[in-house]
Amino acid sequence: MVSKTEETQLNRLENQVDNGGGGVWEYLCLVRKLNVRRSEKVLKHGLSILNDHKKRSALGHEEWTLYEQVAIAAMDCQCLDVAKDCIKVLQKKFPESKRVGRLEGMLLEAKGSWAEAEKVYSSLLEDNPLDQVVHKRKVAMAKAQGNISGAIEWLNKYLEIFMADHDAWRELAEIYVSLQMYKQAAFCYEELILSQSTVPLYHLAYADVLYTIGGLENLQTAKKYYASTIDLTGGKNTRALLGICLCTSAIAQLSKGRNKEDKESPELHTLAATALEKDYKQKAADKLGLLTSALKSLKI
Amino acid sequence: MVTELKYEISQNAYIKLVLHALKHKTTAVNGVLLGRVNPQKENVVEILDSVPLFHSNLALLPPLEIALIMVEEHYGSEGLGIVGYFHANERFDDAELGILAKNIGDHICRYFPQAALLLLDNRKLEALPKGKDQSPMMQLYIRDASKNWKLVGPDAGSRLLIKEPAANIVLSDYIASEKWQDVVDFDDHLDDIKKDWLNPEFLK
Repeated sequence: MVSKTEETQLNRLENQVDNGGGGVWEYLCLVRKLNVRRSEKVLKHGLSILNDHKKRSALGHEEWTLYEQVAIAAMDCQCLDVAKDCIKVLQKKFPESKRVGRLEGMLLEAKGSWAEAEKVYSSLLEDNPLDQVVHKRKVAMAKAQGNISGAIEWLNKYLEIFMADHDAWRELAEIYVSLQMYKQAAFCYEELILSQSTVPLYHLAYADVLYTIGGLENLQTAKKYYASTIDLTGGKNTRALLGICLCTSAIAQLSKGRNKEDKESPELHTLAATALEKDYKQKAADKLGLLTSALKSLKI
Repeated sequence: MVTELKYEISQNAYIKLVLHALKHKTTAVNGVLLGRVNPQKENVVEILDSVPLFHSNLALLPPLEIALIMVEEHYGSEGLGIVGYFHANERFDDAELGILAKNIGDHICRYFPQAALLLLDNRKLEALPKGKDQSPMMQLYIRDASKNWKLVGPDAGSRLLIKEPAANIVLSDYIASEKWQDVVDFDDHLDDIKKDWLNPEFLK
């Protein structure tokens, strides 16, 4: 999960590197730190260092980290020969290493040799049942083979042990959403909000899920979470502002005939609409007309 | 005798959707098809444009609702409506039309009963650079009389046509030059409203 500032910084660096402006190692470190998936770039630029003897030795002991990073990127790009070479180097340097063992498992995965990869991972888990990366590889394998229920089962088991792994909760939530199992997805986001209450992404996702489930109570709660997202993002989140408008409209439709007034925050949707219009006027003026019509059709 | 429904997709609409899928290789993506019934030939639906929608959390309602409202508003003023839906599955091996696509398709059918569902054909796309295939890299699904989505058989090539016969050559060129980097979808717009989901300069 990456913030807008982090993404801008990353893209700026990537651009610089792509255009030969240097900063390759800095870029590769940032990719690692942010845990983003830019495999083609990592492969290309990582190899440019690894294939150059001088640049490689300049890295000192970080050389091995780079071999690992490039191996994984190569596997993601299906450049299995490159991956194999990198892993060989690491095997030579660190024989008997569990970390390299994981890479061997991943290479088998990349080849589609699921059963053999499974064997490697099981044996690694026997030696260290608390190896989080290996547990997650098993989930990834299930997903890759289209065994979504297996992935869910394994991920739930994983979370029973490692309940503080936020990425895992998010992954589970997104799998549930993809299967339209919204109530289960909501539960995951509830866990995330409980443990990290100031991360706006979780509030937003929770609101989106509640709105999707529908029903008056869920819509009212969704509206609250869109509001808290706006709070946590200083009013800059377009999705949350639009969410407020959608909720207001849907709630009004469901409350038709009842005298239930939205006592909570009657001006909230007007504020949201105004903020949106101001934003569009400034940054997307050609779409302002569309926004205004959209808001009108929502009866805002 | 009832003449069979045929769908004709414009090169731009077609290429935009495929490139969108290629931009986001690791997730499912979707998009909507814009067009109209051919004024001279009632059994031909013209797909004149497409809007790439999302590359994450496709099954969440709020972004989809907003997107459909804005898309309909824009194209309505040009005399076009939503005539179908495009979906590309997350996994290469997954050639199944999922429930989400069917649900969205059903929704579109309420306003346009002849709506089409297009599913990206990964294997065909993989073989693209090697062959001289002029048919679209997509599978066509239409609703039958019992409102079930049915794959239009191996002769789909005759019921889903790309208007411009050289479209796949153009597509191959764009893939080679990595043109898919420039595709903007509705997700991108919601993250940064300066990005234009209409992709106005994209294939000019």
